[in-house]
Order: sequence, then C-alpha cells, then structure tokens
Amino acid sequence: MQRSSWPWRIFKALCLTAISLFFLFPILWVLLMSFQTNADILRVPPSPFFTPTLANYKALIAGELTGAGSTLQIAYMKNILNSFVLSACSVLLSLLLGVPAAYAFARYRFRLGENIAFTLLSFRFAPPLLVLLPLLLYFQELGLYDTYIGLIWVYQLITLPLILWIVRGYFEDVSPDIEHAYRIDGHSWLRSFLKIAVPLARPGIAAAALLAFIFAWNNFVFALILGSSDVQPVTVGALAFITASGIQYGQIAAGLVLSVIPTFVLALVMQRYLVEGLSLGAVKG
Amino acid sequence: MYEKAKDLAEAYVARRLSRRAFIDRMAKLGIGAAAARWALSEATTRALAADYDWQKHKGKTVTLLLNKHPYTDAMIADLDSFKKLTGMDVKYDVFPEDVYFDKVTAALSSRSTQYDAFMTGAYQTWQYGPAGWLVDMNEYIGQAAPNYNWNDVLPNLRASTAWSGVPGAPLGGAGAKQWALPWGFELNSVSYNKRVFDKLGMTPPENLPDMKDKAAKITKDVDGMYGIGVRGSRSWATIHPGYLSGFTNYGAHDFEMVDGKLKAAMNSAAGKQFTELWVAMIKQSGPRNWSTYTWYEVGNDLGAGASGMIFDADILGYFMNGGTKEAGNIAYSAFAAKPGAKQPTPNVWIWSLAMNNFSKQKEAAWYWMQWATSQEHDLFGARKMDFVNPVRQSVWDDETFRDRIAKSYPGYLEQYEASAPGSKIYFTPQPLFFNLTTEWAASLQKMVADEVPVDEGLDQLAESVNRQLASAGLR
Amino acid sequence: MTTQDMTQASVLPARRRGGRLRAALPYLLSLPSLLVTIGILIPFGTAVYYSLQRYNLAFPFTRGFIGLDNYAQFLADPAFWNTVRVSLLYTLLTVGVELLLGLAMALLLQRRTAVNNLLSVLLILPLMTAPAIAALMWKLMTNPNFGVLSYLVGLAGFTDFRWASAPSTALLTVVLVDVWVYTPFMMILLLAGLRSLPRQPFEAAELDGVPASFVFFRITLPMLTPYIITASLFRMLDAIQQFDIIYAMTQGGPGDRLMVFQVQAYLEAFTFTNIGRSAAFLMVLWAITFALSNLFIKQWLKLRERTHHAAG
Repeated sequence: MQRSSWPWRIFKALCLTAISLFFLFPILWVLLMSFQTNADILRVPPSPFFTPTLANYKALIAGELTGAGSTLQIAYMKNILNSFVLSACSVLLSLLLGVPAAYAFARYRFRLGENIAFTLLSFRFAPPLLVLLPLLLYFQELGLYDTYIGLIWVYQLITLPLILWIVRGYFEDVSPDIEHAYRIDGHSWLRSFLKIAVPLARPGIAAAALLAFIFAWNNFVFALILGSSDVQPVTVGALAFITASGIQYGQIAAGLVLSVIPTFVLALVMQRYLVEGLSLGAVKG
Repeated sequence: MYEKAKDLAEAYVARRLSRRAFIDRMAKLGIGAAAARWALSEATTRALAADYDWQKHKGKTVTLLLNKHPYTDAMIADLDSFKKLTGMDVKYDVFPEDVYFDKVTAALSSRSTQYDAFMTGAYQTWQYGPAGWLVDMNEYIGQAAPNYNWNDVLPNLRASTAWSGVPGAPLGGAGAKQWALPWGFELNSVSYNKRVFDKLGMTPPENLPDMKDKAAKITKDVDGMYGIGVRGSRSWATIHPGYLSGFTNYGAHDFEMVDGKLKAAMNSAAGKQFTELWVAMIKQSGPRNWSTYTWYEVGNDLGAGASGMIFDADILGYFMNGGTKEAGNIAYSAFAAKPGAKQPTPNVWIWSLAMNNFSKQKEAAWYWMQWATSQEHDLFGARKMDFVNPVRQSVWDDETFRDRIAKSYPGYLEQYEASAPGSKIYFTPQPLFFNLTTEWAASLQKMVADEVPVDEGLDQLAESVNRQLASAGLR
Repeated sequence: MTTQDMTQASVLPARRRGGRLRAALPYLLSLPSLLVTIGILIPFGTAVYYSLQRYNLAFPFTRGFIGLDNYAQFLADPAFWNTVRVSLLYTLLTVGVELLLGLAMALLLQRRTAVNNLLSVLLILPLMTAPAIAALMWKLMTNPNFGVLSYLVGLAGFTDFRWASAPSTALLTVVLVDVWVYTPFMMILLLAGLRSLPRQPFEAAELDGVPASFVFFRITLPMLTPYIITASLFRMLDAIQQFDIIYAMTQGGPGDRLMVFQVQAYLEAFTFTNIGRSAAFLMVLWAITFALSNLFIKQWLKLRERTHHAAG
C-alpha cells in the first residue's frame, strides 16, 4: 500500500469522491427535504434553495399532524420506540444464542455439526410471505399476536442466521493457539471463551450485531401482519404520511431522518470495533 | 343561559333554525363557537336518543380496523358524541392506506375475532362476502333507530354495496345481501387548473377527443406542464377511476352474460375504440412516468401545477385545492367521454363499513356502524371536516354544507350534480375482480409502451380472463 | 464427519473430566439456537400443505387437496417462467454489482485513517434507510417533474429518461436502488475482512517488490474469499426474495417486466386471495433459494478445509 504513486492516489481520491457522492447525495437531499414544506419539495424544477422550516420535525415529535383543515394524531415516536425495542431485543437474544453456536461450529467438528449449522441458516430461506399467514393463525392460537415477544421470536429468523454465520467466519480466522495456551494455564473453558475467544472476534461480532440490528430495524411485513398498531415499527409508521389528501414528503423525509438517527448513533459507537479488524497476532497465518 | 343555549341548539337540530341564525343567536348569548359546537353535539345526542335504546350495550368496547383517511379523522373527531350517546367505548387500529387491505385480508382470513367492524371498499366485498367473512347488514338495518332513515342513503350507493354473490348478478339485484354500509364516496370527473385554462382561453373538455386535444395543447403551450393526469400503476386502482368511467361511457362492458355464464367483453369494438384514444392521449400528453402513477402522483401533479387537469376522483381534485401551490385554482367539471353521450357515467369508489362475521358482539358493532353512518355524524363530518362526498341526500341538501363547498370549491356542487345521476359501480361483480383489473392495468402499460397494439392487447386480455374464469369454475 | 473427532481446528486440551462433557459441549452451545428457531417449521409445514390445495379464500367451497396441480400449472405458464427469469436476473445483477462495488470501496477504505473510518460509517447510511421508505424517496427523486435526479439527468442531455416507468430502463432503475441500499452491506463485511487479514504475506510481498496486481489476485483475494462468500450469500438471499423496493417503485410493472417471485406471490395471496397458488409460488422460490445457498455453502466449506490443511 505504501507504494502509491501520485496519479494513483489522485485516481483513488476521485473514485472515493464519486462513490461518496452516489451514496450520500440522496441522503443529503432527503435531509434538505425534511426542512421543506410540501409545496417547496414539489417544485418544477427542483431546487436546493428554500426557507427552512422545522414544522415537519415538530409535527412528528409532538405527534400531531396538521393537514388541510384538521389535525391528526400520529404515533411516530412510539413507532421509533417500538423499532428500537424490537431490534435491540432481537439482536441481544441472537447474540446470546448465536455467538456460542458460532464458536461451536468454528472450533469443533462434531457429529451433525454442519447439518445443524446449515439447518439454522436454512430457516432464512423460507420467503417471509410463505410463513406469514400460517404464523398469524398460530400466533392467535398461542396468544403471541400483537406481542413484542412474538415479534422478537420471528425476528430471530432474520438476525440469528446473520450473526451465526458472520461470527463463525471470524472465529474460524482466530487462531485457537491463544485459547489453547490460556487453558493450559488452568483456566476453565467458559473463562477462555469469554476472556479470549469473544474479545478476539469482537470486530466480527460488532459488525454482525450492527447489520442484524439494521435488518431487524428495516423489517416491515412481520410486524404489519403479526401486530396491531400498538407494536408497529417505523417502517409501517412512516407510511402514515401517505394520506388520501396527498403524500407528505416533508414529513416522510423528517421521519426517515429521525428513524436513521438511533442506528447511526449505534454505528458511530461501534465504529471503533467495526473497522479495527482482528487484533494483530490473533489471526492464523 | 345554559337552558337558552340548549333550546337554540335543539331548534337548530330540528331544523327550525338556519345555521347562520343559530350562530348569530348563540353569539348574542355570548357563546363562542366551541361552546356552540358542544351545545350542538349535546342536542344531536338527544335527537338520536329519541325512541331507541342507545344505552343497550353500555359498558361494552368495540374494536375497529380503520384506514388512515379524512373520513376516519372525521369519525374520531366526533367519537365522543357516540360514547356519550351509548355509554360504550371504542378502540381503533388505524393503518396506512398502502397496507390497509393487506391487514384486513390477513385479519379476516385468520378468522380473527379482534376487530368488530372495519372499513372496506365495495370491490373487496366481492371477495370477503363469498369467503364468509361479512355479515349481511339487511337484518340490522331493519332494526335501526327510527330516525336512521336508510333510504336517505343514495340509492346507487346502496345498490353498489349489495350483491347476491352470484358472479355476474347485478349489484343490488334480487337476493342481494347488503355486505357493507356506504360511508363516503368519490366519483370520477375532471378537475382542472382554471388559471391555466383561462390563460389558454380554453373551457373544460367536453368529451374524450376534446380532452385529448386540450391536453396536447397544454403540453405544447405551457412550459413545465403536461396535459392530463391519469393513473397508470400496475394495479386495479388504475382501471377503476377515469378509465372505466370513460370505457363505460363509450358503451363498453367488462363482461357479458352468455348462457348464464360470464364472458370477457373488454375487447368489444367500443372498448377498443375507447382504449385506442385513451392510450394515444397518455402517450401524447400524459405524465412521462405514467406507469408508476397512483392516486398520489396524479393528485400531487395537479396540486403542484405540473399537470393541467386530471380525470380521476372528484375528491382528489377537492383535496388538491387546499394547502398546495395551486390551491384556489382548481375547478371541477363533470365529464362524459363519448361525444354526444346522454350523461356522464362515473364509476365510483365507496368507502364503506362492514361487520366482521367472527365478531363476538355483533349488535354492539352495529350500534357503532349505525351511528357512524347516521345522518347526524354524516352532517358533522360534511360541515366541519373533510367528510366528502357524503352518501346521504339530506346532507347534500344541507345548506351549511352547500355554503361551505360553494365558497371554497367553486363549481364542485355543479360538477357533482351533473355527475351524480349516472354514478355507480360499472364493474360486473365477481370474485376475480382483482385478478382481472390488475392484468388489465399491466396490459395498458404494454400498450402505452408500444409493446402490443391496443386491439391485440385487449384480445389477449379477454382470452386470459376467460381462461381464469374457467379455471375458477365461473365459466 | 467423524464423531467427536477433534481436528486441527479444535485443539482445546482434553483435561479434567475430559470425555463426556467435552463431547457434549458443542451440542450445548449450538442446540439452543436450534431449539428456539425450529418452531418455524410448523408454519412452514402448513404452508407446504396449502401449496398442495386448491385454496382461494373467495371460493371457500372449492377448497381441496389437489396434489401437485398448482405446481404443474406453472410449467406451461409463460408468466411463471418470466418470474423465474426476472428474479434470477435481478439477483445476478444486484449481487454482482454490489460485490464488485463493495470490494472496490473496501479496498479504497482499507487504510486506517480518520477520514476512511468516518467515511466507512457514513457510507452505511443508505443501508439504515428502510428499503420500503427509501424506495418512496427514490420514486420522488426520479419523478419527471419534481425529481432532482430527473433534473440532473436532464441537464446531462437525457431529457426523456423515464427511469422505472419505461420497460427498457425499469430493471436498471430498481437495480440501481438496490445497489444504493445494499452495497454498504458488502462493503462493511469486506472491509472488516480486509482489515483482519494477517500482515506478514503483504509485508513479504512488498519487500520482494511483487507487483500490486499479483498481490491482489494471489494474496488478497484468496484470503478474502470466505468473507466474499458469506457476504454474497446473504445478499443473494435478500435479492432473490426482493419485494420492498420493486413493489414500492413499480408494483412489478411496467407490463410484467419486474414480476419477481415475492411480488407475484404477494399479489396472489393478499390481492387475489389465492393462498394455494401463492404458497406454491413461494415453495418454488424456497427451492431455488435452497439450491443456490447450497452452492455457496459447499464452496465455503471446501475453502475452509483447504485453509485448515494449509494452516495445519
């Protein structure tokens, strides 16, 4: 990497700029839209110049939408809270279940091991729509309809395979020698798992947890069908700004910005682990 | 003072007093608008309560599944008067329109007892009814409160929400079950940008060829504006507004009955003639992204001054006349597509209320439905909120409502009155409605994209529909 | 696979109580995951059963077992084969582009500088916007009247570019949105993988003056392959089952251009109330997903064997 010549570096900088533009311009535009009135957004041709307004955010946070002639109650902040509860609990549960399992698949060859690993992954193969209506029937029977617990369970189908397979890859890459040495020192298996194996694979766990959180956060159809409006996440809540009397683009944009903030903060917090890579020397040569 | 206000309110409810006189006299008593509304709602409650045991289900709670809609907003705003009238409580689950019917289908197909009543369109009852999910409301209408006055509901709408369940049998015909109660409705007509039409020295379009020409002129002469907004997404919702209204006006039908069986008829000569013009008009001066256009895009463009006119729901034009860039510039005109046609034939969409057959407290649910479709609530919504179009003749005759509309939406009432007589559902009721119309929309998309000629496209569509009817045992 | 056979990878010492507990340990670690999620097989089984029935909710009296008839109908149905074709094409295009672009981004951001670290977090932002809502925003941005992208493309001379609404550009447009949303997923996994690679081979190569292209193709890429397979596998799973983006942008149109499996199955189930046919459709999708995933996993396991041998 050190051998970069000047033209090469300029080329790389140009590529990065183009890529950033492609990925961040729409975000920036949405951010601008969130400070505009609907009339400003719907201008021909579109323009980045406008008088900013906080009305969209105020309406969302206060939970009151002033439309043409009437005031509507909306529960967008509750939707965000629901999203957070559902995603966070799902990821925590998946970590609790998935990290030890990932470790087992990476470290041990055991009878049916690969079959179990594949089976766990295969639960992800079933298209959500396939199991949705039967699930609704069983959820109503079991009293799981419209409960966080029911949804968190279903979300395991999204988060668990992701965590399991990504973390497994990292455990595979961490040399077992260090654990080996630690255990020869007389420490228990559990201790070596918690003190050595997990910290070494931390970047992988962080990346997997963040991605799983995002995928849970972005899920739409499970909560829609398996819950009443009490447990609906932001993905469903944001659709409330599409009303018969028009799409409130400004409010959708503001809603989108608000809904990204928790995940973005999480990503910033985890950034250190996310990008550090496995610690030096822990990796198998 | 309180007694005096109450008397005035009662006089008003009994129509011994005009709205203006009522408000004037209340003002003289020193009572502001809010208090006046309170006194009025009190009086309404008492008017409804006459000769009917509204308190029969006191203490019960009904649960509703509702779509996010101005009608819903109006109902919720008035809900306290229901609670006061009946001593019942109401819980509701409101879902966005985009996903609303998915939620209804899911809930009903799982035989959920959670919701007692819900909002539906008439087309949906052609699935829900035969599926056994709905209650025939006829038995309840018979036991309504004396002042319910079911016959006050527009006859075409009553018929359009009633069907015997026999595929192809006429709506509201013999043996029809009242699957739903009409709540609010929209018919299809032209809403146009009067500012632009005036500038170009044009009058609203008189028929389809005229519409096509005027749309082309707008596209050509007005910078950044195209002529005519109509829906085009791959959905049943593309077929039922302007397209079917014009299609019907040309004398075409979706089906014909041959030996008591349904046969696809959209490829008749009249159907082809109309569709040919329609497709040409879209290609020439429709929105450029037409095939992704839904209710929202069609409305947005009119409100933002990107389109010169729309042939869609009248209430879409109504909504776009407030809070948009072109607010105040939108005008309305009834529209008969065929040159020389006797009258407009707008197809209608009816937001209706239906009862869940799996509900465990049907009569309590009926109490709410009865109240929500009552003249009193209809009046409240029409006068104070955006509960348009009302489904009751008495509300259309109400002076306060008429004044409000005439003042803020010039030409709307005239449009309505010219459109109303021919307004009803023009689809043939049958449970494959959504299969048929979705495919129809896809077929139109192919025609507009020049992937298939119009006549061939309609022939293929008819053939495919016949095949589907046969495999479902309907043919 | 041999019983309790501790291979090179599992060198943890057999001490103390040894035998039985040690043999049970991997099961104790992995079975809770399975126990928690295995319940999904029940609704799955119900859905399989539906797929063998004539089952349209609007025709309750015609419901009945029809064996494989729903499936047999697909064989002669051009719409079905169109769905297979579009779904596979969509998957190939999105996963292919996202892999190449994601890899390029990971390589560009590989060095641990403050700017790169910040950019790598910023670039995940598209992934954090729920596809269902992101697609709405894209629909607005590509609107010919108010859309900023339409405007910019118009400035570049394409004044009549119709994005998702024209048959010729519809697929490209939804692929573009998919690439925008999901490339960061690839990037983050590959970046983490790249930064975890051991340094010795690279340092040695540099000392020897090995050309950069050789280093990339002979050292970087092979070592990164397990990460590439895992990331592509998960992208593939989502891409072949794509629904949110396509439905929000075009509902499967124009014509039948974007009628992928889940859009078709969604219409069948929720709009046409044809539960049996929808389930059969989705079972085919499940089978395709299963087969494709198997390919990925086989490669992954093969690779794993090889590296472990090399390491041993």
